[in-house]
Amino acid sequence: MFTLLHGFYKYLKQKDEYCVLILGLDNAGKTTYLEAAKTKFTKNYRGINPSKITTTVGLNIGQIDLSGIRLSFWDLGGQLELQSLWDKYYQESHGIIYVIDSNDRDRMEESKEVFDKMISNDHLSGVPLLVLANKQDLPDCMGVREIKPVFQHSGSHIGRRECLVMPVSALTKEGVDEGIRWLTESVKQNSIIRKPRGVND
Amino acid sequence: MGGLLSYFRGLLGSREMRILILGLDGAGKTTILYRLQVGEVVTTIPTIGFNVEQVTYKNLKFQVWDLGGQTSIRPYWRCYYSNTDAIIYVVDSVDRDRIGISKDELLYMLREDELNDAILVVLANKQDMEGCMSVAEVHQALGLEALKNRTFQIFKTSATKGEGLDQAMDWLSNALQTRK
Repeated sequence: MFTLLHGFYKYLKQKDEYCVLILGLDNAGKTTYLEAAKTKFTKNYRGINPSKITTTVGLNIGQIDLSGIRLSFWDLGGQLELQSLWDKYYQESHGIIYVIDSNDRDRMEESKEVFDKMISNDHLSGVPLLVLANKQDLPDCMGVREIKPVFQHSGSHIGRRECLVMPVSALTKEGVDEGIRWLTESVKQNSIIRKPRGVND
Repeated sequence: MGGLLSYFRGLLGSREMRILILGLDGAGKTTILYRLQVGEVVTTIPTIGFNVEQVTYKNLKFQVWDLGGQTSIRPYWRCYYSNTDAIIYVVDSVDRDRIGISKDELLYMLREDELNDAILVVLANKQDMEGCMSVAEVHQALGLEALKNRTFQIFKTSATKGEGLDQAMDWLSNALQTRK
């Protein structure tokens, strides 16, 4: 009897889990963004002080429960040497967040090349993509209008998939909500192609 | 009940964090422990059994256990798993022959339920030696991409030169403090 009830309870609590990969060059603000998102959507979560966030060499994880599903984030290191490890996660990802440092004009071209290589990978075809022009709190940063032309020619790689480019500031948390909500809806819509991982709460 | 107790303990002041230093024999675990504690390089002999020291780092108190890494005593690691807050896994970055064994031990260890919430720090040690593996190589050789539900970080260290340990401890103390 207990097993039956317990099974029923587990069934009720079950949530579909979608995995989201956070990528981009080093120092783009991926970990800060993840912390901002976790702070926004998790009760009583204080988050790491942004000044204490260091270069990621490894993996940071995070989970957000939103509109009936669970998003699991994988935030990977962005240094050149570590980019070779990204593709190990592609097959299991349901969504991609690509973070750009809008204030780093010198590395914009590099960011585009890395982006092209990532997005043209077969394992990622059809996966919803959220591109974030981060660090919008800095006065001299490039706006979305300026960044879009740089990535213009990547259109053919992007192909048919849900895609959104938006300005954000991970530091002030401006725009973090909207991005996560958009991605939540997109991965849900895409679940026919990429089935969620079933998990128990 | 346990939750209630830990709540009161939280009111009384921060609890001492429990950290295990693990890895194959000869990786440099004991050297790292004493580097952290006294800030010096000590002459070590292979550890049979364990060393345990209290380490204070930036107002945080850690109880650090350094367990022997030889094949015959690795099965006893599990006796120390309960209530572990973090694992510092030390890898000899020059020892390409045994990195596969190191990987198996690591993945086998992390399957234990008791370590589900433990934070993992991998130290790619002996970076002062020529021909050592890079961070990406260590990541790949240890099969760390299999760990999809755990926060981890890799640091290049040289225990004898004292490099990289501060960054690792900085990151670890931050991660432990903000952990839910």
